[in-house]
Amino acid sequence: MDNGFVLAGIRPLPAPRCEKETWYKGRPVLSFCLFFLIAAGCLFCEAFIPKDPTFMDFYHANTAPNSEFWFGTDTMGRDIFSMIWYGGRISLLIGLLGAGISAFIGILLGAISGLGPEWLDGLLMRFTELFLSIPNLLLVLLLQAFLGEADVWSLSFVIGVTSWTNIAKVVRTEVRQLRGCEYVIAARCAGAGFFRIVFIHLLPNFFASILFMAVMNIRSAVSAEAALSFLGLGLPLEVISWGSMLSLSEQAFLSGLWWLILIPGVFLIMTLLCITNIGNYIRKGKSQTVSPQSPHLR
Amino acid sequence: MIGKKIAAFFFSMFLLSMAVFSVARLAPGDALISYYGDRAERMTAEERVWAEEKLGLRDSLLVQYVRWLENGLKGDFGISYKYKTGVLQVIGNRMENTLLLGGTGFLLIFLGALGLGSICALTENGWMDRWICRVGTISSCIPEFWMALVAILVFAVNLGWLPSSGAYDIGKSEDVPNRILHLILPLSVVVVQHVWYYAYMVRNQLLKELGAEYVLLAKSKGLRKGKILCRHCFPNMIPSYLSLMAISIPHILGGTYLVEAVFSYPGLGTLAYESARYHDYNLLMALCLLSGFVVILCNLAAQMINEKIDPRMKEQTYG
Amino acid sequence: MRDELLAVENLTYCFRHEKHIAIQAVDNLSFQIREGEILGLVGESGSGKSTMARCIMNIYRPESGRILYQGIDVWNPKEFRRHKRLLQTSRQFIFQDSSSSLNPKQTVEQIIAEPLKIHGQKPERGTFRGEAAFQLNQVGLGEECLDQYPNQLSGGMRQRVAIARALTMKPRLLVADEPIASLDVSIQAQMINLLKRLQKEHGFSMLFIAHDLAVVHYLCDRVGVMYQGKLLELGPVTEVFENPCHTYTKSLIGAIPIPDPRLERARVLPEFEKENLEWRGQKTEVSFGHFVWR
Repeated sequence: MDNGFVLAGIRPLPAPRCEKETWYKGRPVLSFCLFFLIAAGCLFCEAFIPKDPTFMDFYHANTAPNSEFWFGTDTMGRDIFSMIWYGGRISLLIGLLGAGISAFIGILLGAISGLGPEWLDGLLMRFTELFLSIPNLLLVLLLQAFLGEADVWSLSFVIGVTSWTNIAKVVRTEVRQLRGCEYVIAARCAGAGFFRIVFIHLLPNFFASILFMAVMNIRSAVSAEAALSFLGLGLPLEVISWGSMLSLSEQAFLSGLWWLILIPGVFLIMTLLCITNIGNYIRKGKSQTVSPQSPHLR
Repeated sequence: MIGKKIAAFFFSMFLLSMAVFSVARLAPGDALISYYGDRAERMTAEERVWAEEKLGLRDSLLVQYVRWLENGLKGDFGISYKYKTGVLQVIGNRMENTLLLGGTGFLLIFLGALGLGSICALTENGWMDRWICRVGTISSCIPEFWMALVAILVFAVNLGWLPSSGAYDIGKSEDVPNRILHLILPLSVVVVQHVWYYAYMVRNQLLKELGAEYVLLAKSKGLRKGKILCRHCFPNMIPSYLSLMAISIPHILGGTYLVEAVFSYPGLGTLAYESARYHDYNLLMALCLLSGFVVILCNLAAQMINEKIDPRMKEQTYG
Repeated sequence: MRDELLAVENLTYCFRHEKHIAIQAVDNLSFQIREGEILGLVGESGSGKSTMARCIMNIYRPESGRILYQGIDVWNPKEFRRHKRLLQTSRQFIFQDSSSSLNPKQTVEQIIAEPLKIHGQKPERGTFRGEAAFQLNQVGLGEECLDQYPNQLSGGMRQRVAIARALTMKPRLLVADEPIASLDVSIQAQMINLLKRLQKEHGFSMLFIAHDLAVVHYLCDRVGVMYQGKLLELGPVTEVFENPCHTYTKSLIGAIPIPDPRLERARVLPEFEKENLEWRGQKTEVSFGHFVWR
């Protein structure tokens, strides 16, 4: 077209890039594998850990990582490599329990609020707002002070009880949308009770939208356990978990024992990162339109 | 409408005070200790009865609550056991530090998130966007206290550049540069921890705006990217962003508390942590009430902003 | 005359919007359904047919009036609790839209067996699966549907599943709220024949709600005409269709197209305007069992 005229509407399109469809595209495979590895390692740690994680070897206290103690020892002479796997079990257990409790409370209260009469709904939402209004840390402090000496169960309970609000809010909105559905009315006509309606008819239908939050709650529960134990308000030193291992760090500062801080921390962060990636994947899977394209500003 | 809001606000505060009071009173631990300290353990039985009667601990919980509320409204929340002075006085001393840390942190998070989010949105799926997203996800996964620990380990213990704890060196409470020096580490931890979450929100919101038709129109008029962003997108986005930030105050406040505790920064967070450890319930109750007050107020503000933007929100009584 | 199964007495229901606006959906309605008969209810959309059906099924609480089912006042909490099981099993409801009345996350087998499980009844044919397969067979579906989810079925099949679910409890009263409205015309005919056959086999009574007069004419024994929440005319089908007394009924019946173009063109449609409806609620018996409210 060298005659100066250009046909309107025709412009060269760049050849569409052919990207190979691979099964792992958009899937956090690495995170899944790593998480699986960590979880399995913690679960079956007896099979491969070289030392008794609770044994205090005072001759070898404060050793830097070497060939015998791969990750070094802590101030009481316990082998950190063994403790990591052994303690991960407690940390993950608290994470799962805490998230489970929070999901249960959230679903229950959200469903009551969504299905119940107007005044109950209002009351429960005020209550939720109240819960949200106290910073989480203060709430945990208050509850922990109430429950006294912490163990795995009470700690999971406290974490679960303080983190249900986001799930409850979403469940409430979902239930409000679903409760007018005819299959719910049909179940009611047939005489189904509250729990049957919630757990058989409603839950499977809004499960996808709270799964992401439940997974993220695992993450925040693991994180909360670590923070609380670190502050000395969670698990005592004798109960090995990632948090209680980190609570030795004050002594570590004074004597420059960096491995006491870094190694459990790195494990903790890797786990949290894996859970986050998995959670984000779930969220994206739920709503395909999560990342809107912006064609106009190119 | 305003009257209804104020009523709801007072109702929430009332519920909050009731909850806080009952949890603190039912908590294990000798209530006398929180008034008399170690002396309570050395008291004889008669002295105990006398003390309990004097403090009104023998009345029913309801009577105690009403009395506590009455005194609280007059500004008297009792005496802190650990500091041996009025609770409000203790809080007052620490308040400015927390306000300094939390306020500056909040502002930095607010601006930083806006900046980062805009960069991400403008370079969507480019290398910059991808790297910011990646680093952001990782940073939001690192527990605050651990980040604080590593920061102390690196910058205070190993490099010795910055102080590791406190708000100022002894005797230098009026020295502004010294204060700033002490503020750097806790502030950066708070900001790094929180900024990504909000930046991600800004990014998605902006992307939504950029996909709208009016941007196309503005572009067809020949406006440049920067101008479209400043003139059209931001004004549309800012109100909802403001309301989001108002709701997020408890999150940031909680984070500040934790960071304070790690850095032993003399603010409300450290105070709360100490009061929980030493069962100083009078102090803890007042702290909870104070935080709750701020947060409920912010929620109210967020609701008002939302209603300003979107009149439909008024119909939903409970967002 | 057969026994009376359901009696609706002076039923009134209001939809309340906010505080001031109330819409009278059902207005002072009375009728009876006898054992083993099919009562059709016709009327334009918004005339309160579905609302009334839902009142009968204990879904909407009526403003005033009574609903007696086998002599039980179903909205009296005490009586409802005492006869809960009877009420929940022997009255069954079929919804208009089968795509939303079946839980998308349950298989057909679970859907059909659910009422049995709720009431803790032993399935007659051994297993729940066997029972579900039997009921499916009754409505003309094969066993291959048992493990499918509702969205894998066509609209007609879904409605058959809904009917099967209702039949599982051996109902004495089946309330069908426009069960064919959301189906294709060819499938509608099948469904009507299915309902007719099932009614003959099981002998249940049915309240059949429709807006299609021809269907009502074919299926029902008696018919009621509703308009704006009021019952205008009630009587045996042939009687009402041959000798409509109310102007609204006349215009409704007049609107049925005649499949002969010459007759159709020559026909004069009776006019009906809203203002013409003078409602005094006086009930007159035109002929035996044929009532008109004017």
